[in-house]
Amino acid sequence: MAQTLEIESRGGKAGTPLLEVQNLVMHYGTKEGDVSAVEDVTFTLNNGEAIGLVGESGCGKTSIALTLLRLLPDNSVVKSGDVRLDGESLIGLDEEQMRRRRWRDISMVFQGAMNSWNPVYRIGDQIREALRLHWPETLTYQEETERIAALFELVGLNPATMERYPHEFSGGMRQRAVIAMALSCNPKVIIADEPTTALDVIVQDQILRELKKIQKELGMSIIYISHDIAVIAEVTERMGVMYAGKLVELGSTIEVFHRPKHPYSYLLLKSTPSITGPRRKLAPLEGEPPNLIEPPSGCRFHPRCPFATQQCIDEDPPLTTVGEGHSVACWHWQEVPEIGGLQK
Amino acid sequence: MTEPMTDIAAKTTPLVKVENLRKLYPVSKNIFREAHDFVHAVDDINFEIAPGESLGLVGESGCGKSTTGRMLTKLTDATSGQILLDDKGELIDIAHIQRSDMRRFRRRVQMIFQDPFESLNPRRTVYDTVAESLTVQRIGRVQEREERVAELLHRVGLTPPESFLFRYPHELSGGQRQRVAIARALVIDPTFVVADEPTSMLDVSIRISIMDLMLKLADEFNVSYLYITHDLAVARYMCDRIAVMYLGKIVEIAPTEELLANPRHPYTRALLSAVPVPDPAYKRERVDIKGGISKALNPPPVCRFIERCPRATDQCRTSDHPGFDDLGNGHLVACYNL
Amino acid sequence: MADTLTPPTGELENFDPQRVVEEPLWRVRLRLGWRSFRRNWALFNDNKMGVVGLAIIALFGLMALAHPILMATIWSNHLEGGKNVYDIRAGADSIIVTKTIVEEVTDPLTEISQIEAMFLGTGVNIPEIGDTIESPLANPAPPVFSGVKHPHILGTDPFGGDVFSQLLFGARAAFLLGAIAAISSVALATLVGTISAYFGGVIDTLLMRLADLVILIPLLPLLIVVSGFWNVELTMLGILIGILSGLGGTAIILKSQALSVKVKPFIDAARIAGGGHWRIITRHIIPNVLPLSFLYMMFAVTGAIFTEAALSFLGLLNIQQSWGIMINIAHTQGYTLEGFDVWWLMFPAGLAITLFSAGFFLVGRAMDEVVNPRLRKR
Ligand SMILES: Nc1ncnc2c1ncn2[C@@H]1O[C@H](COP(=O)(O)OP(=O)(O)O)[C@@H](O)[C@H]1O
Ligand code: SF4
Ligand code: SF4
Ligand SMILES: [Mg+2]
Repeated sequence: MAQTLEIESRGGKAGTPLLEVQNLVMHYGTKEGDVSAVEDVTFTLNNGEAIGLVGESGCGKTSIALTLLRLLPDNSVVKSGDVRLDGESLIGLDEEQMRRRRWRDISMVFQGAMNSWNPVYRIGDQIREALRLHWPETLTYQEETERIAALFELVGLNPATMERYPHEFSGGMRQRAVIAMALSCNPKVIIADEPTTALDVIVQDQILRELKKIQKELGMSIIYISHDIAVIAEVTERMGVMYAGKLVELGSTIEVFHRPKHPYSYLLLKSTPSITGPRRKLAPLEGEPPNLIEPPSGCRFHPRCPFATQQCIDEDPPLTTVGEGHSVACWHWQEVPEIGGLQK
Repeated sequence: MTEPMTDIAAKTTPLVKVENLRKLYPVSKNIFREAHDFVHAVDDINFEIAPGESLGLVGESGCGKSTTGRMLTKLTDATSGQILLDDKGELIDIAHIQRSDMRRFRRRVQMIFQDPFESLNPRRTVYDTVAESLTVQRIGRVQEREERVAELLHRVGLTPPESFLFRYPHELSGGQRQRVAIARALVIDPTFVVADEPTSMLDVSIRISIMDLMLKLADEFNVSYLYITHDLAVARYMCDRIAVMYLGKIVEIAPTEELLANPRHPYTRALLSAVPVPDPAYKRERVDIKGGISKALNPPPVCRFIERCPRATDQCRTSDHPGFDDLGNGHLVACYNL
Repeated sequence: MADTLTPPTGELENFDPQRVVEEPLWRVRLRLGWRSFRRNWALFNDNKMGVVGLAIIALFGLMALAHPILMATIWSNHLEGGKNVYDIRAGADSIIVTKTIVEEVTDPLTEISQIEAMFLGTGVNIPEIGDTIESPLANPAPPVFSGVKHPHILGTDPFGGDVFSQLLFGARAAFLLGAIAAISSVALATLVGTISAYFGGVIDTLLMRLADLVILIPLLPLLIVVSGFWNVELTMLGILIGILSGLGGTAIILKSQALSVKVKPFIDAARIAGGGHWRIITRHIIPNVLPLSFLYMMFAVTGAIFTEAALSFLGLLNIQQSWGIMINIAHTQGYTLEGFDVWWLMFPAGLAITLFSAGFFLVGRAMDEVVNPRLRKR
């Protein structure tokens, strides 16, 4: 099968399931006890779709990303659940099989990635190396160069700069190059964990726009992970809200923003300042995120939840469907008021 | 929430008045030769802060916000210019302060830092940290200091204080540490506090309670803030007025809502248009500007924004960096083509 | 950490700061110190290497303590020529007469006695198997436990000195030397490192060039030269080693640690509180460098002991007694090549030097894990 040199997504028909995460449970073993970092998480990424995972730091977002990529540290244990890419379980693969799928099928853009370029090699050569390792056929030097140039063009970098060294790039340019690298082998999925967190707003905006454009044009499937709900609002169609290792709400981005059904999502939105709309009092979220070694009983949000009842302390609410493609894990979701857009 | 203090600086004598403040950092490749290259970290800025007012200083990283804050707290010496602090009717020039005035100055001006994990000495207890300025300046007896610290802990929400007094930083969460840092800044009853990104390392859910606390204490202690942040939404929540900085220059100052509703400088417009909005239904109007922020190394005397400015004209290319135009209502802009 | 973070709504009227501060400050500090010691001990204790090291050090500690006690009790009445036999320098058991039971008549010793007896014609009993006879032993004598006037459980040295007594005393000397060298080395290194890091500029340049110089000069040869000219005794040696190692590598390592502390925002905060240079150095920088200093103290002991052994072996020191000197005496009296036959001359001292150093090294390594959380096992 001859590979085209087009830059494209190798995913299937738009809208069909691509990456399925089912009841994933992942813990870290520590001296103090087990950290329940990912607890019974289920979601699906469809072909051509951009979804978001949002939550405070330490709630398990990065842990999910690392589990999907199987890049977990030694003290981690995937207790149960499964991750399927195009129907094939990634959890069952051995290291060598997984290594072949990374970059090729499932690639990544991490927060610190722009600082992970090797300072002694040219940026272009580092992407070339990735192509040599992961592209299924051997390309000629010329073909590689053309491909890298095309990738640079796509992410808004001047192709001539591929001859430069990392220190000659600004932070934003380096992060663009990371995106080029992530796209280099036409992956089916890109996982972007805080892709713009360390960048200034203007650069962040440019890169997010670039990513969104690429995602639309190539029909790429992307999982965005961020602590910043405004970023998730910008770039995703569907989103999940995580709290203390659990996925507490899942739905279309617009639904979650306008009609959140989980008290945590609601308070998160209410406590996010914005430069648009009327100046308003923000609602502080009382307390702090729990320790995941001994998470609270029942609903993990109950110590901070204004709607909590005895039932919440005793029983863990299951993820229930509350609308089309909208599910939430809360006993009292009906009591959560509507927001109807922050601008109102 | 306090109403925006429009024109407040005009009504009262300012608490802090910054005039032609500059900070140049020499860049020398050779230790034996005098430097010829300078980074103009802060280049000839002017602003005033009224008593009880909080001024936001916003801009991208590296634009000189923190350097300004450090000069105002005397952590860095100014290259030139004046920083006048009103101490009960008497003006102290912080930039050229006498040794004998140093103690008085340290009682008036305090600072809150960005990183709650690095700004507390890991080997000192909460009490030691909060009481530090009282101890150093020999204010009160030990018993009185302890009581004052306990009171401050109570005020910043670390209750009951006795359970926090003798904890070490590693026994506190990020939010609690930042509360300790706030208590440390206020324990000596200052009139002016420089807050350098005090909430940017905190999680959203904790950020709001810290911001609310700072607002409440500003009222109770009657302090003014210079609130440094890169986040315009945070500045909007915290500040009466906002100053926008670009490469060492202040390009626009206005009361908060005025600035957001009616930005005039091309850079402010670009900055505002790039802030993501937490509502997927909201469509932002985009102002495109070229490239990213560069370094202010030996900048030419023309407008600092010229390379990226979509409106630059020949006048911009041939004239010096523009001075402030007063648009009324305390709205000042430095640009030739409004 | 589930803490209440309710905004401070409680008004100050129903809050009495006096109630809060009942316990005197010094008691609180004592309590905190004890708590942090316990926590660090728990971490240290996790590491078996460190516990083994500590046990070794404790063993030597017991040995050092045992020496004066033994001299005052069991060994107090063993006089010979007006001097105590067990005295580490003056004491000498000139000739040891051992009583042995004759096992074979062909024993060369008894044969000689037989011939002597015949010549002399006196009615000496010719020993038979099972008889007890007295036979003199020349020094160095092997271990003799009983049946003699002065037992030597590790034998004697070539001059008749008791090896066991010397070994115990050597532990005292080692501790003294180690402590002086370690404390002076680390105190100096901490001070030089912090001052250099804090002030920078000319002070830093001067101190660091000095450090480079000290690193360039090899310690041992220098000490050999110095002790050739001067009369170097133990305290002096400790201070010399301390200064030389304290100005060199350790100072540079502690400086880099101090540099990383100096740029922390809490140092800025201390300046804003109005703290002067001295206060910032002593209250804020040094406490954060100190754990690393302690670590290097352990390694300094190891270094000092080896240096002393080497110098003593070369006979360059004027010190009363030490493990190095024990080896030196065996060597100068020509027993070096008869190692196995006269094992008690060199083996106990050599083992003591090795174990003692290893003990401190192991403790140092274990402390490293307490001090550097990165090395901690999860
Ligand atoms: N290697 C590890 N060992 C032990 N705990 C870990 C490890 N990595 C992360 N954790 C813990 O797992 C939880 C989830 O972390 P993470 O997935 O990084 O969250 P997020 O990306 O949402 O910030 C946190 O409590 C974190 O402290
Ligand atoms: S289940 Fe109860 S505690 Fe949990 S979010 Fe819903 S109302 Fe709150
Ligand atoms: S002065 Fe000219 S270059 Fe500068 S911001 Fe205004 S229009 Fe742009
Ligand atoms: Mg993360």
